Amino acid sequence: MDWKCCWNKAEVTAEECPYITEGEEELYVSQKRRVVEKCLECPRFADDIRAMQEIGTPLADVLPYMISEIQEQKLQLQSMVSFLNSKTKEISFLHELSLVLQTSLDLDEVLSVALTAITSGKGFGMNRAFLLMTDKERKHLKGYLGIGPKNYEEAWRIWQEIDQNKASLTAMARNFLENKLSSEKAKFHDILEKISVPLGDHDHIFNRALRERKPILLTDAFHSQEVDARLARILEVDSFLVMPLISRNRRIGIIIADNCITHKPITTQDMQSLETFAFPVAFALERASLYERVQEDVDKLIAANRKLQEQQELIVRMEKMALVGRITSSIAHSIRNPLLVIGGFARSLLKNIENDDPKREYLESIVGEAKQLEDVLDEVLNYSDSLYPARDMWDVNQLVTTACDELAGRLEQHGITCASDLAPDLPMAYIDYKQMAFCIRSILTGSMDSSAGGSAIRIQTRLHKDEIVVEFTDTGKDFSPEAGEILSTPFATTMEPGNGIGLPVCRSILAKHGLPFDMESLPEGGIRYTIRLPTSKEEP
Amino acid sequence: MKKLLVVDDESNIRRLYSQELSEEGYQVGTAASATEAVEKLTEDDYDLVVLDIKLKNESGLDLLQKIVKERHDMPVILCTAFSCYKDDFSTWLADGYVVKSSDTQELKDEIKRVLAKKSR
Repeated sequence: MDWKCCWNKAEVTAEECPYITEGEEELYVSQKRRVVEKCLECPRFADDIRAMQEIGTPLADVLPYMISEIQEQKLQLQSMVSFLNSKTKEISFLHELSLVLQTSLDLDEVLSVALTAITSGKGFGMNRAFLLMTDKERKHLKGYLGIGPKNYEEAWRIWQEIDQNKASLTAMARNFLENKLSSEKAKFHDILEKISVPLGDHDHIFNRALRERKPILLTDAFHSQEVDARLARILEVDSFLVMPLISRNRRIGIIIADNCITHKPITTQDMQSLETFAFPVAFALERASLYERVQEDVDKLIAANRKLQEQQELIVRMEKMALVGRITSSIAHSIRNPLLVIGGFARSLLKNIENDDPKREYLESIVGEAKQLEDVLDEVLNYSDSLYPARDMWDVNQLVTTACDELAGRLEQHGITCASDLAPDLPMAYIDYKQMAFCIRSILTGSMDSSAGGSAIRIQTRLHKDEIVVEFTDTGKDFSPEAGEILSTPFATTMEPGNGIGLPVCRSILAKHGLPFDMESLPEGGIRYTIRLPTSKEEP
Repeated sequence: MKKLLVVDDESNIRRLYSQELSEEGYQVGTAASATEAVEKLTEDDYDLVVLDIKLKNESGLDLLQKIVKERHDMPVILCTAFSCYKDDFSTWLADGYVVKSSDTQELKDEIKRVLAKKSR
């Protein structure tokens, strides 16, 4: 029999089988492969089978079943291979992604990778994604970043660009981070502002997703009972996905993804893939934000350490300068008196000397030179005095404690107890340490002198607005109105309530600082003295 | 004639001030220490005290406090080599403050000013 197809030949030529194409030349010499790959689908082979049926070949009737079964199996195999290929691609995509996410400590880099992955065709292929993050105070979910086109024209341009560049996901994310991050933040600024919500708003869909730790897919957002229609109006889509980002029970944030341009339905499959992806993203975000916070703290510590070092150096320098100052001052003072005696007597002599006396010139020289030396001494002394700054930031609690310690012996002698109630964590006060120490000592001494044995003095410090309030309460005698009057006059003295000059001077010092000094008689007996000290260098 | 008491531990300065202030028409007494000054103030009536801050082994400021406490109406001018005390609260009790100089004009002016203020 003369067959149309070449299935029975060990070797064939191109004329004998026109279905063998370029690259398949091996099939000319391999009968087995040629039959399986070509003949089973060849119309000439179908003709040959029909011819076999006509001549009554017994196998001819069952051959079509076998062929169709083989073809069916082949198709299934192909679809499985293609499924496997797509899964391999997905795994390699997730692998690439997880590598970047695992190694990055930069918050913006992690965000760029995550949102690029969601929106790129190589990744999850969504049109648009927003990220909201829990703020530092853990009070709000704040819109942080949006990515994607705003309209169809922009979408078309971006997708064409991506198509031409054929960049890898990491390259795309890097490009986004370097060139587009700030513009995308600005582009979606209005939406990001509007979609921020307080974490306390339990009914909000974002908080629900976080609470239930599950993604929520909304398909009819404009009419759904599940969501506030305002959110759908802000996003301008009726179908979107809310993906919670949770790491070790910490609410990191949420991702909203939608297909605002193509309106392609979001499938359960999409949601599941994104859910797998959400965990490493949440973890990477948490790590990056913790790293950022640690970095901030480290920077603060470095700055504090640097300041401390500078201050230590300053103290050493000041001590050295103060020593130089003390030596200079001591020399200058010991020179000053003899110098003014020389100059002073020379002036006296000069007054009683005739103008034409030749000694006049000598005396004038002595007076002039002595004056010049005095001026030099003045300069030196003024300089050494200026080494001690008058006002600076000082710890008021320490000042009070030191004053109490200094007076402890005298208080004990008088049989008076002194209790202090000092607020912890007080800021520093901007005061002249020496003068303020005098004030505190004067008030304490005043209280002590007017109190009887067995009584108590109480000192309290506290912060009120931006002032430190120091309050002294004693159980001594009240002061008479006259005493109060006298106390308000500088340099006046009174025998009550204390008998020293301390309190009027104290009032003058505080007045010079521009600070009030209040004294009031208490109904239960005793006096309360209150001073208020500034915590900043600005004038009160 | 107004009577002044110059308190200074340096004898040359006492002599210089006595001479200069006498020429201005004041009657001048001197004291070399705080104790001597207190004695003189009790013995005699003075109109004003010119006081040095650093006296040998004593502080002129202690004497100032004593005078202010016991002789409320007695004007005191501090006359010292230390210009830094001028801003110091402990000298605020005094009626005047002069930095010592070979030119005594400033001291003379200050005495005039304080005495005029007192007699007002």
